[in-house]
Amino acid sequence: MTEPTRSTRIPIVERVLEANDQLAEAVRADLERRRIFAVDIIGAPGSGKTALLEATLRALKGRRRPAVLVGDLATRRDGDRLARWCDQVVQISTGQGCHLEAGQVRDALKEIDLSIVDLLFIENVGNMICPVGFDLGQAAKVGVFAITDGDDKAAKHPYLVQAADVILLNKIDLLPYVPFDRSVFDADVRLLNPTVPILDVSSTTGAGLDAWLEWLYRGSAAAES
Amino acid sequence: MRLVHEFSIAEALAAQVLRHAPSTGRVRQVEIRVGALRGLEPEAMNMSWDAVTFDTPLAGSVLLMDQRPWTLTCPACGRVWESPVPFAECTCGETAPRPTAGDELDLISMTVDEGDDEAETEALWAPTSNQEASAQ
Repeated sequence: MTEPTRSTRIPIVERVLEANDQLAEAVRADLERRRIFAVDIIGAPGSGKTALLEATLRALKGRRRPAVLVGDLATRRDGDRLARWCDQVVQISTGQGCHLEAGQVRDALKEIDLSIVDLLFIENVGNMICPVGFDLGQAAKVGVFAITDGDDKAAKHPYLVQAADVILLNKIDLLPYVPFDRSVFDADVRLLNPTVPILDVSSTTGAGLDAWLEWLYRGSAAAES
Repeated sequence: MRLVHEFSIAEALAAQVLRHAPSTGRVRQVEIRVGALRGLEPEAMNMSWDAVTFDTPLAGSVLLMDQRPWTLTCPACGRVWESPVPFAECTCGETAPRPTAGDELDLISMTVDEGDDEAETEALWAPTSNQEASAQ
């Protein structure tokens, strides 16, 4: 004879991504100790993250000592592109994973000589939703939006807008040629994140890169102090 | 299949539940609380949960999502209310109330059936491999 079933509700209250968050904290502590400024670059596929990084690395040549971790679903193409501009590039193939996790960053960092690095770029997998909720141990999150993606992308991705420490509005050179209402984009961003800087950039023409580099220098200086 | 963040979250959640689950009994229900910022789709979350728990002691368990809404604050009349969407007009006609929301993602509770016939055999199942896989 079986006993009657008895149900017990066990209260727990614990963060679901606790394991990832702990790994991220360890990565953050290590990077801070080494005075490395780390940014997590998040944006849709085709928003121009890799091209922007290429332009950034080119401009940083001889001025900063960068390293790059680049997340990609299956190919090595992004890594190969970036390796032309930076000696220390590690490709993280996520397989079918839509975002990077802190454990992957920790492991990839082992392949980098961090003693000669002061700026770490982490190019996340092309996706505006999944990567936002996974802490990687970065000092700042960079949200990349492209003019060609439309002016409604900020409103449709509130988590990224809210979590971003800086927003790059990329492909700004195409503004005259595509329907993009700048006031709509700015208003949506401002509602969700009243203080985040919005920097207009174009990796093709180089427009706005100075302001972006300035932002990086400030973060880098803060990491060193 | 993995191209949704719901799947990764379901994996982490399953490992976490197995870590907390008592050695006897069957987990019947798992309750989580999710801030609106997370943008978790209940349907994708449930599908992911079923897929992740399929051949584990959590198979057949129900995932209960307490989705926290957005809080909208009207800059014109000061009204504060909750909304499932971040952008909405105020009753006073103001078109741009300020949206705020949390990004909490918490395991709140699990409900365990005891005295279940299968409980004995399931207690023998070792959760370590799954835990390691998701902790990587």
